[in-house]
Amino acid sequence: MKRKIFRFAALLAALAVLISSVLITAAAYNDFFRTIKREVAAQASYIRLGLELGGEAYLSQIERRTGHRLTLIAADGKVLFDSVSDPAQMDNHLSREEVREALETGVGESTRYSSTLREQTYYSAVKLSDGSILRVASSMDSVLASYNSLFWLVALIALAVTALSALIASLVTRHIVRPINALDLDHPENSAIYDELVPLLSRIKEQRGEIGRQMAELDQRRAEFSAITENMDEGFLILNREGKVLSHNKSALRLLDAQLSSPVGVHILALNRSEPFRDVTEAALAGEAHERIVELAGRQCQVFASPVKNESAVQGAVLLLMDVTEKQEREKLRREFTANVSHELKTPLTAISGYAEIMMGGLAKPEDVPEFLQSIYSETQRLIALVRDLMLLSKLEEDAPPARERIDLLALAEETASRLSANAAARGVDVSVAGKALEIMGMRSVLEEMAYNLLENAIKYNRPGGSVTISIKKAGERAVLTVTDTGIGIPKAEQARIFERFYRVEKSRSRAIEGTGLGLAIVKHGALLHGAQVSVKSGSAGSTFTVRFPM
Amino acid sequence: MRRRFDEQLELLHTSMIRMGALCEDAIASATKALLEGDASFGEKAMALEQDINLQEREIEQACLRLLLHQQPVAGDLRTITAAQKMVTDMERIGDQAADIAELSAFMQGSPVGSDVHIADMARATIKMVTDSIDSFVAGNQAKATAVIAYDDVVDDLFSKIKGELIQQLVQDSSLAEDCLDLLMIAKYFERIGDHAENIAEWVLYALTGSKTGSGPEEGR
Repeated sequence: MKRKIFRFAALLAALAVLISSVLITAAAYNDFFRTIKREVAAQASYIRLGLELGGEAYLSQIERRTGHRLTLIAADGKVLFDSVSDPAQMDNHLSREEVREALETGVGESTRYSSTLREQTYYSAVKLSDGSILRVASSMDSVLASYNSLFWLVALIALAVTALSALIASLVTRHIVRPINALDLDHPENSAIYDELVPLLSRIKEQRGEIGRQMAELDQRRAEFSAITENMDEGFLILNREGKVLSHNKSALRLLDAQLSSPVGVHILALNRSEPFRDVTEAALAGEAHERIVELAGRQCQVFASPVKNESAVQGAVLLLMDVTEKQEREKLRREFTANVSHELKTPLTAISGYAEIMMGGLAKPEDVPEFLQSIYSETQRLIALVRDLMLLSKLEEDAPPARERIDLLALAEETASRLSANAAARGVDVSVAGKALEIMGMRSVLEEMAYNLLENAIKYNRPGGSVTISIKKAGERAVLTVTDTGIGIPKAEQARIFERFYRVEKSRSRAIEGTGLGLAIVKHGALLHGAQVSVKSGSAGSTFTVRFPM
Repeated sequence: MRRRFDEQLELLHTSMIRMGALCEDAIASATKALLEGDASFGEKAMALEQDINLQEREIEQACLRLLLHQQPVAGDLRTITAAQKMVTDMERIGDQAADIAELSAFMQGSPVGSDVHIADMARATIKMVTDSIDSFVAGNQAKATAVIAYDDVVDDLFSKIKGELIQQLVQDSSLAEDCLDLLMIAKYFERIGDHAENIAEWVLYALTGSKTGSGPEEGR
């Protein structure tokens, strides 16, 4: 701005100096020339008088005083006298304009430039009474020459003016700019210093408002986005082209078990470098979406990795991590369950089919037939029990639960004990019921099943001559049913799994101990329905199953 | 200039992590080949060795370029020299994993392995390698020190396996070849443990300027 103002001012000043100097010179010169002309003409007339009175001698007397060139020319054009040159050397002057004019009219004048244009000469001629011509000439510098002599002065002035304009430009600029620099751009409407700036300031104000709104909107979106992602159970990561983390949420750090407080800017490999994880992320960064189950910090995680593309160029990748450990486990359980159900159903059917085939083919001896029929009958019973338990289980799981009523746990335990007294007697196991009456709100059929299964197991897995105790007591806000046996116990490693369907500690599935493998699963589901907890404690000398019901 | 240098250092760090991960994969595959007798894992370990060699060459060249073009000093210089040393150890780990995979092919179906603590040794060695690379990734001094201390566990396991193999050899000399192969494998694991220890030492050197982690060695 300063430079621009300076340039403009300097140009203006220089131009003014130049033009005015030219014009003044021209005007002054013109004036000066007119004065000279008048003076020369006057002198010519005086000298004519002198000459006519004093003759030629007057001329020689006066020539030094006038400072002008005096020439006397005869009527035929011959030069008779000249104050500068030798008259003999001079040519005929008849053709000169002023001479001719004077011969005709008595007075003549003319202006001529020297050959170099440096000088301009004014000639004034008068006709004497004897017919000869007196000419007075005055030479002076031409306009150009006189301007030329002024040149250095003009140049000096121009230089001074330029320097001055630089100073002024700097002062003016500072003066103009200072309030602009001091503008409060946060509140442009308060500082209307120049009218010229008002449109700019109002524009700035508008745009500030716009920017403020957009920032607020952006902030809100970011807050919404992070509120959503932060509270997701799924891990969420955004990577840039090089694989460095741009954004992440808490779950991602948890699933990746990252020790860093903020992995932003860290390469994803520094968070996890296992082969499957590396493969999916690198595939995504190469532009291919991938999905894979990866073990992260001991958990099974499903990793979805998708490239972020902009016009087919990969700009980064988005990773979504989902903990599928439970899902995987459920899946495994379901597969095991299906396999177990098929196996459990098939085993008795194979036996039945086998016996029937033998009898059909007439291979069976008549005396063996009753035994075969007995086997077919017991296998069928087994199938029926199995199907009954399966139906019960699915009922417990899915159907609307039966109505609740007040049930005395002690009475229920005694009833169950009497139902199973024959079994107990057959195995030589002593069953006793202890405790006092305690009522809970429950579903009779379900509770009966639970008590039956617990007691049946306690008898079944007991030692001959052993004992089973069912006790009912109150512990705080809970009603506790405990079934303690003196049986074979359950190995520690198996205890967590015995409540699974078809899980049996004896892998051989020996027929030595009858059972569907669904009993404890039914107990567990029944407890769930009642909001109760089942626990087991077992050593080499018997097991204790405890069910705690809320009162 | 500095910015570019930092970027190159980061790139070096990432390549080192990748190479470390390849080493972990190689030794895990070799161990699977040995313990589960699955030949496909053996092939994978050998393929990984090639990748590791390639990566070593690339990292070495990158280190040289950085040294020549940037003329680093102090911590940066230590980082790069440590990287140069570490890749050599990593490359040896890759080689030995491939050797284990190769020997595992001859061990298949042999009864020797089952009574020996070789699985424990493999686990301990893998832990050392993983921890040493973890310490590099996180710049974790405590972890690096722990890796160096853990080498004794691997060394003890080697002596134990040696004793167990001698016992077996005394009882049944027909197993001599398998016993010797297994001894070689145990030795390879022991060497891998040493290389992991070296890596941890270089991590300490890069962090502190001393391979014991007690402070700069300069001026001593």
